[in-house]
Amino acid sequence: MFNSSPITSWEGAEAIFTYADSPLGMAVCFWIMTAMLIVPLVVSYQAEEQAEVDHQ
Amino acid sequence: MTPEEMQAAIEALQGLSNTNLEIFYYWCTAIMILIHAGFLMYEMGASRVKHSLASGTKNILAFAFMIPTFYMFGWLIYLSMWQGFTYDPVWGEFGLPMSAIMGPNMADQATGVFWGAFTLFACTTASILSGAVIERIRMASFVVLAVILGSVVWNLAASWGWHPAGWLVTNYGYHDAVASGVVHTISGFFALGVLINLGPRIGKFNADGSANQIRGHSLPMTITGLMLIVVGFFGFIGACVLYNYGVGGGWTNIYGGPTTLSAYLFNTLMAVAGGIIGCYACTRDPFWMMSGALCGVISAAAGLDLWYPPLAFAIAFAGGYLGPWAAKQIEKMGIDDAVGAVAVHGVCGVWGLLAVGIFLGGYPGFSSWDGFDVPSINMKGQVIGAAVMVATGFIPGYVLSWIFNKLGVLRAGDGVQRDGMDSELEGVAYPEEIRSQ
Repeated sequence: MFNSSPITSWEGAEAIFTYADSPLGMAVCFWIMTAMLIVPLVVSYQAEEQAEVDHQ
Repeated sequence: MTPEEMQAAIEALQGLSNTNLEIFYYWCTAIMILIHAGFLMYEMGASRVKHSLASGTKNILAFAFMIPTFYMFGWLIYLSMWQGFTYDPVWGEFGLPMSAIMGPNMADQATGVFWGAFTLFACTTASILSGAVIERIRMASFVVLAVILGSVVWNLAASWGWHPAGWLVTNYGYHDAVASGVVHTISGFFALGVLINLGPRIGKFNADGSANQIRGHSLPMTITGLMLIVVGFFGFIGACVLYNYGVGGGWTNIYGGPTTLSAYLFNTLMAVAGGIIGCYACTRDPFWMMSGALCGVISAAAGLDLWYPPLAFAIAFAGGYLGPWAAKQIEKMGIDDAVGAVAVHGVCGVWGLLAVGIFLGGYPGFSSWDGFDVPSINMKGQVIGAAVMVATGFIPGYVLSWIFNKLGVLRAGDGVQRDGMDSELEGVAYPEEIRSQ
């Protein structure tokens, strides 16, 4: 659907992963992953702050 | 070097290669047994004290019954039914239990280790049902259902979609490298069919339809068990690659497409992490956080050979969100899935198949190691494959459990459930330390 294949043939193929030929595609995936690491930590901080308030 | 010496050297190298591969698959199979150690801890921990031994016994018996039945007919079905419901005697000959290669044979270093690996795949498939039905299913009926799932149903689906000649592969380009569909979707929807007829645990639902949370007796045991399952997955995934003896050699995926073990390792680790973090982010529940590892691996499994690792992480993260949400929806439908097996394996399995259609569409086809031309990966093939997996899992699970229910042999009586399923066994899980609830 996203035309993410970097190869048109298996003959002599090397980097075969999705978006291997697209720096933009790789960058988008990379930054999405980064956001997915940060957001849960923010949520965790918020939940812990609330727990501190609830248990005073 | 003379031509004779060259030939001798080639034969010696081939012999060494065979031995190394035999060692590789032997240890993959051994590591896969950790999946069952994990399932054992996971399901016992998720049970209340009075049911914990029965849950463990059920799990061990499924493992034990699966091995001989897979030898009797499971391997045969996988090898020979790739055309649909038609038996292929050429392939089938290799799986007949009376075949010369189905036992110690000095001319064959491959059949035993591949049979062993597939037997453990079958055991895993059957164990997925096990957790969903704890605390109320009758032991013998469970074993029969597990054998049908692990030694018949799964094998049929694997022959269609996880075999170099399978009709889903060669006709539609279905791609399911590490079994999101043929193991997880099949077993998840088989479990759903059984759960509909089995009914909920006593006290799970109130008269108004709202659900109560029934907590297992040891969450630490459950979480540790889940981590053991993750360890076992690395054996499972290792056994999903094959070695190409053709020109150039090298590893291939289950269909004969080129790959490397490194590809699988990159993406498996990323998927485990993505699933855990995704589940933690949406639930902050330790049970679901660790189940998230399974959600993640199952969501990314179908394309583990091809993902860009951060994309594998993102797909697994989405699976980590999807699993608990789906479990909640299934509970709202009045279905009591004690460990969320339908959501984790069934729903995330379907997501994994569709994710391949969304993100991997367009990868070129190749000639499978059985000589068939495999079409390029495409969304239509993945949707058809997902629908086939859902139906192939659900229909036999529902029909068989409906028959068992009509015969009155599916569900334990209320008295036994109230006193504990362990009351039917010798032994007590915690004789002094913990009072039974």
